[in-house]
Amino acid sequence: MESLTPHCGHTSGCITCGDEAIAMKVLRVDRERGLALCADPGGVRSSVETALVEPVEPGESLLVHAGTAIGRDSEQGVAA
Amino acid sequence: MKFVDEFRDAELGRVLAGEILAAVDPERHYKLMEVCGGHTHSIYKYGVDDLLPDNVELVHGPGCPVCVIPMGRVDDGIAIARAENVIFTCFGDMMRVPGSEQSLLEAKAEGADVRMVYSPLDALRLAKANPDRDVVFFALGFETTAPSTALTMKRAKAEGVSNFFCMCNHVTIVPPLRALLDSPDLRLDGFIGPGHVSTVVGARPFEFIPADYGKPVVISGFEPLDILQSALMIINQLEGERCEVENQYTRVVPYEGNLRALEVMAEVFELRPHFEWRGLGFISQSALRLSDAYAEFDAERRYETPGVRVADPKACQCGEVLKGVIKPWECKVFGTACTPEHAIGTCMVSPEGACAAYYNYGRFARDREVV
Repeated sequence: MESLTPHCGHTSGCITCGDEAIAMKVLRVDRERGLALCADPGGVRSSVETALVEPVEPGESLLVHAGTAIGRDSEQGVAA
Repeated sequence: MKFVDEFRDAELGRVLAGEILAAVDPERHYKLMEVCGGHTHSIYKYGVDDLLPDNVELVHGPGCPVCVIPMGRVDDGIAIARAENVIFTCFGDMMRVPGSEQSLLEAKAEGADVRMVYSPLDALRLAKANPDRDVVFFALGFETTAPSTALTMKRAKAEGVSNFFCMCNHVTIVPPLRALLDSPDLRLDGFIGPGHVSTVVGARPFEFIPADYGKPVVISGFEPLDILQSALMIINQLEGERCEVENQYTRVVPYEGNLRALEVMAEVFELRPHFEWRGLGFISQSALRLSDAYAEFDAERRYETPGVRVADPKACQCGEVLKGVIKPWECKVFGTACTPEHAIGTCMVSPEGACAAYYNYGRFARDREVV
């Protein structure tokens, strides 16, 4: 049954209110439909729109917001 | 965990706190605004402000799109949700934002078909699964969320989905920052810039802040060490008499942004001449609506809405909180009449809102001595 209360609790943040994206790992790519199956740090999988960051490859880390990848989480650029 | 443990390392945090302490001028007071609600949430959750010296003050900005939605827009959404044959979809937190008489959640309890979605694409899927119903998506968010809505509208058009509509409330970050900087009651020394908005728009749109207003900007990640390092970078600029846009969040934010996202946004949206922001009033060219090419998907053109401006409740001081003029606990109704469970103001609704973040994590901290 669909929950009557919002999913995002006051301890975990929300998909839109902070406009904060999360890093997700690409598991599988569906190039024809412009989608990728991705997993969040907790292992929860979801389908992600990849049009804005293509081409993507399995194993890459994408920055995902509201079901759309808006950038990459690059290991090379990590600041100390 | 990669990028999580490293950026939450307590020992490194103490080292950075020491560097900040060594960098500040003890005679000077530093007032830094974190623009983004995600930063506010992290600051309270991890106690980042406890690691800062007394004379470095963090002020919470207007970067929570739920918090800045005026009551009149909520009423407009409820009017559409109550229309015949409509499935109204929105993100979770939006359901609890009070309108002038009720919230979308309360409208749902009275029979309106309001459903929570995690992405605009979910709303489009719902439209395709219910071809005999009109599915309306309440689009909300800064430039981080707008590309997702834009791609979904493009997809709806390409697939010829005729029962999918968008009530667009997307807002843009630069006009409210300019409005804040022009506000006479605001004294700020620098900005912790929004990390994920910048992934889309890049760092360039913030160059006017050092150029026109003489304030440094450091675009920051969301982990506690990101925020501490950004604070240090701002203080180093102030003490070194430099003033520029710096990017602390280089692992994610390219200086020029995501050009593909900007292109798709330019195709699907156009700027509204003006838009009302809760607490900040009307700000010109600060929000988006669907462009003429997407007029057939515009819920506001399809449905009658009251379109009435509703004044905020008198007791609520969200405006002053959003401008950083007062701290959340200085509001008269904070923690008494206004709590996350029974919010009067929007800043208490969203977990990224300054009041909710403070209520959940920081309300006991202000009496503690800074270590």
